[in-house]
Amino acid sequence: MSNVELIPVLLVVAPILLATLPIVLGLRFERTGWSVTALTTTGLFAASLILAQRVYSTQSAEIYGLGGWDEQFGIVLIADQLSMLIVVLITATAAGLLAFTRLAGPRGNTFYTGYLLLVGGLLGLTLTGDVFNMFVFLEIVGLGTYALISSGDGPESAVAALKYLILGTVGASIYLIGVGFLFMATGTLNMMELADVIQNGGLDDQQLNLIRAAFAFMFVGFAIKVAQWPLHTWQPDAYQHAPDGVTPLIAALVSTVSAYALARIMFDVFGPEFLIQTPYAREIVVTVGSISVIAGSTLAVIQQDVKRMLAYSSVSQFGLVVAAYGVVTETALTGAIIHLIGHGVMKAGLFVAAGVIAIGYGARTVDEYAGLAHHRPVPAAGMAVLLIALIGIPPSVGFIGKWYIAVGAVEAQAWSVAAVIFLSTMLTLAYAARLLEKMYFTPARNVDPGSHRSTDAGSPVATDGGASSQTRGSPDAVSLGMLALVVSVAIIAVILGFAGDVFFELLEPFVDEVFN
Amino acid sequence: MTELDILTHAYPPLIVFAAALFMLVLPRVLGYALGALSLAAVTVIAYLIPDGAYLTTTFLGFADIQPFFVDEFSRLVGLGLGFLGTFAVIYAYSSGASRVQGAFALAYVASAIGATFAGDWLVLVFMWELMAVTSTVLIWNYGGDAIRSGYRYAIAHGIGGSLLLFAVTAHYAQVGEFTYGAGVADGVGIAHTVPALLAVLGIGVNVAFVGFHTWLPDTYPKPHFATSVFLAAFTTKTSALILYRAFPDGHLYLAYMGGLMAVYGVVFALLQHDMRALLSYHIQAQLGYIVAGIGIGSAIGIAGAMGHLFNNVLYKSLLFMAVGVVIYRTGENDLYKLGGLWKEMPLTAIAFLVGALSITAVPGFSGFVSKGMVLDAADPGYYGGPEYQALYWLLFIGAIGTFLSFIKLGFYVFLHGPSDRTVKDAETGQTVAMFSVGGACLVLGLPIIGWPVFTDLLPLVDGSAVVTPDFETTLHPYSPGHLFDFLVLATVSVVGFKIIRKPLSKLDLGDPAMFVNPATYYVGRGSMVAVTDTYRAVDAAAVGLVRQVYWIGNNPVLAVDALGRRMPDWMVELEERQPADGGRPSTIHLRASIGLTVLILTVILTIMLLLLV
Repeated sequence: MSNVELIPVLLVVAPILLATLPIVLGLRFERTGWSVTALTTTGLFAASLILAQRVYSTQSAEIYGLGGWDEQFGIVLIADQLSMLIVVLITATAAGLLAFTRLAGPRGNTFYTGYLLLVGGLLGLTLTGDVFNMFVFLEIVGLGTYALISSGDGPESAVAALKYLILGTVGASIYLIGVGFLFMATGTLNMMELADVIQNGGLDDQQLNLIRAAFAFMFVGFAIKVAQWPLHTWQPDAYQHAPDGVTPLIAALVSTVSAYALARIMFDVFGPEFLIQTPYAREIVVTVGSISVIAGSTLAVIQQDVKRMLAYSSVSQFGLVVAAYGVVTETALTGAIIHLIGHGVMKAGLFVAAGVIAIGYGARTVDEYAGLAHHRPVPAAGMAVLLIALIGIPPSVGFIGKWYIAVGAVEAQAWSVAAVIFLSTMLTLAYAARLLEKMYFTPARNVDPGSHRSTDAGSPVATDGGASSQTRGSPDAVSLGMLALVVSVAIIAVILGFAGDVFFELLEPFVDEVFN
Repeated sequence: MTELDILTHAYPPLIVFAAALFMLVLPRVLGYALGALSLAAVTVIAYLIPDGAYLTTTFLGFADIQPFFVDEFSRLVGLGLGFLGTFAVIYAYSSGASRVQGAFALAYVASAIGATFAGDWLVLVFMWELMAVTSTVLIWNYGGDAIRSGYRYAIAHGIGGSLLLFAVTAHYAQVGEFTYGAGVADGVGIAHTVPALLAVLGIGVNVAFVGFHTWLPDTYPKPHFATSVFLAAFTTKTSALILYRAFPDGHLYLAYMGGLMAVYGVVFALLQHDMRALLSYHIQAQLGYIVAGIGIGSAIGIAGAMGHLFNNVLYKSLLFMAVGVVIYRTGENDLYKLGGLWKEMPLTAIAFLVGALSITAVPGFSGFVSKGMVLDAADPGYYGGPEYQALYWLLFIGAIGTFLSFIKLGFYVFLHGPSDRTVKDAETGQTVAMFSVGGACLVLGLPIIGWPVFTDLLPLVDGSAVVTPDFETTLHPYSPGHLFDFLVLATVSVVGFKIIRKPLSKLDLGDPAMFVNPATYYVGRGSMVAVTDTYRAVDAAAVGLVRQVYWIGNNPVLAVDALGRRMPDWMVELEERQPADGGRPSTIHLRASIGLTVLILTVILTIMLLLLV
């Protein structure tokens, strides 16, 4: 057993074990959390690159069984063409975001424990090869997320965390019920064996009913995790009230990895044949996705708080991904995965930019963004590029994802999905344009950075000091690393726009195998 | 042959266009000299270059484009345009035309020559539109009255050019090639049915079909008199050549349209006071002979039409030059206010006489030969079919009318009592130009020695013999029969003029086709108002919608509140809005509770299970 074959295990176990380190060291030293996490995530990133290089060069999946368990119950990790893209996204995002959290906080060793725990959970969720462990990792991810959200100051964070705690657990439990049904029907938990049983036919009616019920439970469970309207209600609160340093991580990764896991279940376990054969299955998936796109975008348009607006934007973008799953063609699936990754990159950048602007300019609402381009040109430009990428204007990663989904929808003659893509682009344009217009074309109402209060004659002047808790940010609080992070993410979002072919080729073996 | 090989790269329009650019920067005398030289070079090239298609290239992705196509037809027209253009430039120089005017005129000449040498419809359409634009600019350059006429001119040529463009597009769609005649059923002209119909209408505007001709007498009298010389020579003659390219086999309707044009043109020419307007109607009349010859489609008809085209370039411009000198010296456009000028300006009078004798087809002048060929082609007594009997009489009436109107013009301007003013004769340059062109008119029509030189230049004619596979004859312009015909014509005309002179001078009848001008104005204005009002309504609606959406975007709370109030209470739990929130940015206070979400979750799961299992 060479060292490379150990990497999958390392990727999952290392962060979870090292998560204890900040707390242990914290007994002696005060501020070790960031260093430990930086070292760990950088190491994870390097390891994931090595593994990815091996997987894509040999064109074969790395499968590693833990312990001496029978295959049908045992813990299996799978590193294939699909999961490695997500793994690289996770490790890169986790490492990169530390540039922001170092100064912007939240500080403290316990925060970094939660951070590493979350990363470990996400990697496990990505690499796991059996459906029960997927539940376990879902819960680990959930725990990490609750911890991180509640690390914000103020009661709203706590409420938001509680809301996610309850709804997330309900979702995971419903998924677990689905796993139970699957086990009843097939007697195995291993994904490959499940796929064998389900996709090779020979099922009697009772088994089929169980499997269909399992699909319903699992899909609804994931619909909560992926935040599909109207089950998204935890997500805007969580994104808005989480600390600025946490939002990019959970926005870029948590729902993304859940959506990836849903793809894994739908296409690797149940298989395209099952989705096509089962009456209403595709229609339900497409409907849920499409409604999310429209409702999410519409809600985003009417938001005032920028982070909340971006949160609703995630609802709509994941709706697009889910709708693409429902198309069930090779191109649409490829497009969905690309959009998943692209959306992760863009949302991470957007939330970092929103955080930088909140720290450096004190602006959190759309109105407060007025004149930003003049006063804070770098974060404003980064945000503008990312918003344009999110709309899907080429060249950008947002474009290639939408493009492949649209092509897939047209190939499958799923005109409703094609229409939804068009509508989503229009609505994305609407909320992005609102922000762009504010940043670039509306002069700041109050140039004096010392005073926060709005002097707009139309709104009543505050007399109760209700807004004094929010202070105008100062540019000193923004480090060079933060700006570099925003700029580099914006550049990556554009450069990846030229990498459509690369993504397509990387994913091709996996997609081929699924569909043939 | 190497010298000739070099010529195949000397693309004539490019030479002239380069001269036009130089004219803008060089001193006036040098610029005009260069312009005249460039056109002289075009004449030489057109004379020397062997038949063939040169500079064949790929343009706009269409293969086998032939911008420089030389055959007997384009050679003849190119020769005429180059020769006349040379002297028109000299004339313009000595008439005090500005450098800008000269540059525009040369650009216009370049595009007309480009259209002449075009070997396929794509190049042609390009040059055709360019010709319309450059001639409009040339007219506008004069300012004043010419501006409004120029607009009407531009509209007419815009419509004509678009029709031709559609025709060429339809032609390409039908046969997939641009080269003249390629891919068409019988191997010549433009594709049949739709393209042919569009083409005849589009070209019809430029060759002044009756009803489509209003731009011609409207525009040509308005600008600088030197500009009129250019205008008279290029657009209509080039277009007549293109009419032949499109319909080389002719058509009965086309022939009769030519006859109508000849009669219509001379009738209204007779009624004009303005000298240049009179000449303009004669352009239409003379084009009538050309169109008739092309329409008849026999070898002698086509050869006659081309010869007449060539002559027309010369003597019509000569007439415009002579009349231009009169306007230049007297400042008067109305022929009834002039008189006895032959004593004041004898050289101009002689030049006018040469032009008038040519256009009226007096023996000894070039017009006699070519007009005779067209008449013979129509005359059932010679080569015409019986269906052309009426056409022959139309053309004969046209000839009488031409005679009458030139007697009228010459009589009132140069004879008719003593002159009441003392003016100088033409400038040297003007004289040189007039006598050079006039000399050509005379030499090419001389009995025995002159006319065979001319007929040898004509397409389909070898020496003095028309030789084609299915048609063979020898030309005898000075046969007793032809001379007798002329005598009849001249007698009728002179007698006729005596009779109609008095009533004619009192008659002032407008061209009924001129109703097109106000009609164009009102239709244009009406459609403009309609478009503007529609646009305003749409604009108001769109702006209103955008404004509302923008308000919702900026005041989402108010919008959601407004929506929430209209919904039943059990659906939406609406908090009372508290305006005194200390200026805190408004947020949506519609939140789904955990319980509600779980309820929805249950409902969705139930629906899914019902549907799937």
